[in-house]
Amino acid sequence: MTMSGFRERPSRVTIAALATGVLALAVAPWVLNEFLLSLALTCLMYAGLAVSWAMFSGATNYLSLATAAFFGIGAYVTALGYESLTYPVSVFLGGLAASAFAAIVGVAILHLRGAYFAVLTFGLGELVRHAITFVEKKYSGTVGRVLTETPEAATVYLTVLVVALAAVAVCVAVRSSRFGLALAGIGADEQRAQTLGVNTRLVKIGGFALSAFFAGALGAAMAVRWTYIDPPAVFNPFIGFQTVLIAMVGGAQTVAGPLVASIVFSLLTELLRLQFPYLFLIILGTLLILLVLYLPGGIASLWTRKRAGKRDG
Amino acid sequence: MSLSLRWKALAVALLVAAGANAFAQDAPVRIGYAIARTGPWATGAQVSQEPNYIMWADQVNAAGGLNVKGKKRKVELVGYDDRSETETVVRTYEKLMTSDKVDLILPPWGTGANFAVLPLITKHGYPMLAPTATGRKLLQLKSPYFFALLQQPDVMMDALAEYLAARSTKTVAFIHVDELFGLEQASALEASLKEKKIQIVAKKSYPMGVKDLQPVLNEMKSLNPDAFVSLSYPPDTFLVTGQSKAIAFNPKVFYAAVGTAFPVYRDKMGAMVEGVMGLGTWNPKSSPAAKAYFDAHVAKFKKEPDRWASAHAWAGLQILQQAVEKAGVDRKAVRDYIAANEFDTVIGKIRFKGGENISTPGVVSQWQSGEFEVVWPPQRSTSASLYPKPAFK
Repeated sequence: MTMSGFRERPSRVTIAALATGVLALAVAPWVLNEFLLSLALTCLMYAGLAVSWAMFSGATNYLSLATAAFFGIGAYVTALGYESLTYPVSVFLGGLAASAFAAIVGVAILHLRGAYFAVLTFGLGELVRHAITFVEKKYSGTVGRVLTETPEAATVYLTVLVVALAAVAVCVAVRSSRFGLALAGIGADEQRAQTLGVNTRLVKIGGFALSAFFAGALGAAMAVRWTYIDPPAVFNPFIGFQTVLIAMVGGAQTVAGPLVASIVFSLLTELLRLQFPYLFLIILGTLLILLVLYLPGGIASLWTRKRAGKRDG
Repeated sequence: MSLSLRWKALAVALLVAAGANAFAQDAPVRIGYAIARTGPWATGAQVSQEPNYIMWADQVNAAGGLNVKGKKRKVELVGYDDRSETETVVRTYEKLMTSDKVDLILPPWGTGANFAVLPLITKHGYPMLAPTATGRKLLQLKSPYFFALLQQPDVMMDALAEYLAARSTKTVAFIHVDELFGLEQASALEASLKEKKIQIVAKKSYPMGVKDLQPVLNEMKSLNPDAFVSLSYPPDTFLVTGQSKAIAFNPKVFYAAVGTAFPVYRDKMGAMVEGVMGLGTWNPKSSPAAKAYFDAHVAKFKKEPDRWASAHAWAGLQILQQAVEKAGVDRKAVRDYIAANEFDTVIGKIRFKGGENISTPGVVSQWQSGEFEVVWPPQRSTSASLYPKPAFK
């Protein structure tokens, strides 16, 4: 990829459009019915997950499947702490816990590349799931936790909105920073980046931990919707796969790509699920294959290609 | 009578007739649910639950519709795939209740999904009769709209302990899966056995998704217990059975919890299942009603219903049907009617107390020549138990 993506500055029109969009999202709880609100919630959740995933994995080309692990850790922080902490505090702590976990395992596994890294990060979800099961059984005599007195739907929605917006803002800020350039440099050629004086080890651990924060916070925020929390439900590998898929389909080297893809993908999945109950996976699979075949750069290549074309002409 | 009066009478009669006609072709009763058609929950959901919904709606419609306080209305099922995902379960029931505004709902599959729906049914006032959710923790949430049809773990384990005591069993070894249901059953079994003064010689647990239990089973075998109990889930139930046969572990009682009641267990494991016991409630020999249900199910789907939760699912539909006949589709009235009355169902009389089915006793069933016979308690038995269990074939 070219470096031009990193130097783009949003125009005034873009900023105005963004502000309007955020405002529209913020008033949603008072406009939409319960179902549409939770559909919007799902879009926001995947937006936050995909954008924060792309921030690290898209830039560095380290394909992480650990999203499910981070998400689950966050959810479990809520399960354990919700009664004593307040909701915003558990969301924040959920993010911190996931971040700390990512930093610790990052030290151990971030020297691996390619398939080794992907498989190992996938294993993290299983590892944490079994660890929590073991500890819970040993010390609390049960594995599932019941949450009562959960916050209102609007509160959950606005919290997830804030986390998702923070993920986007941080991602944009990172991309135009030295840190972001270092991440991209690692993605382009790690050896070269190292030779040029980038502390690749530290940068990778920092990026991994930062992106984990958002997955953890989103897990913590969403968990209150499920009443009953147990390891198989919250360490759902599907969430991790879906996140990677969305980011890839959108264009993992951009911010807008995963953002657009999370909305398109969530709405499309829901539409197909509701309208074609027995065929939706087949249709979805076919669409994905077509997309990968004809749009290998992701949805984002639709506008980056156009822009590049304009510049050339 | 003057002419004008006669005309008026005729007009009124016509109006009444038109009204009655309108009622006869009243809008259908819309009944919504989300259930797993894809993902890991689909196996259980598509054996024990959704086929019953479809068969019930078809039967009711074939008979002219659902009797709603004396008026026949067709049933229209609004069913969605929940993809075995809790968040999707929640979102779909929100859609059913607030967007589709269905008249009534049917439950999703499994304890976790039922937990997730509980706040919604309480908030929006939808009664829910759950055939595949069990656990005291669910009942402790005290939703007035929730009714659990399955026997609770302690009830089932009491029945097993009673059976073992009746056979003068001295020693039991057991394993359980580390999951809500496994743990709740394990502690219930321990309490029941203690009460019957039966010695527990070994107790081990294993994680969900285990792929090999042979070392544990070897250890159990070396202790030579009278009875072996595996409080397991379907994949592990198959695993435990196969591996016990492989090491020729042949205790006098061999009990495996969830999945033994599935016809696929018998079909896949073959002669090996002879004498294996497990969680069940009924079989076609239990009653003429059970036979009729079994035959209709086989005729429609070319596959047998399972001998535990399937009939509970059917019973839940029967209860809903009877409640709607008396209380209409006013959901609060339906709830109150279900909470206050006793119902005739395919598994016998059912009455609820605090949302718990307090009428269906704990049952022990055993595979004997291709049928999952009820062998305990005596008043529900369809056959005497095979004791000691014949060695694995």
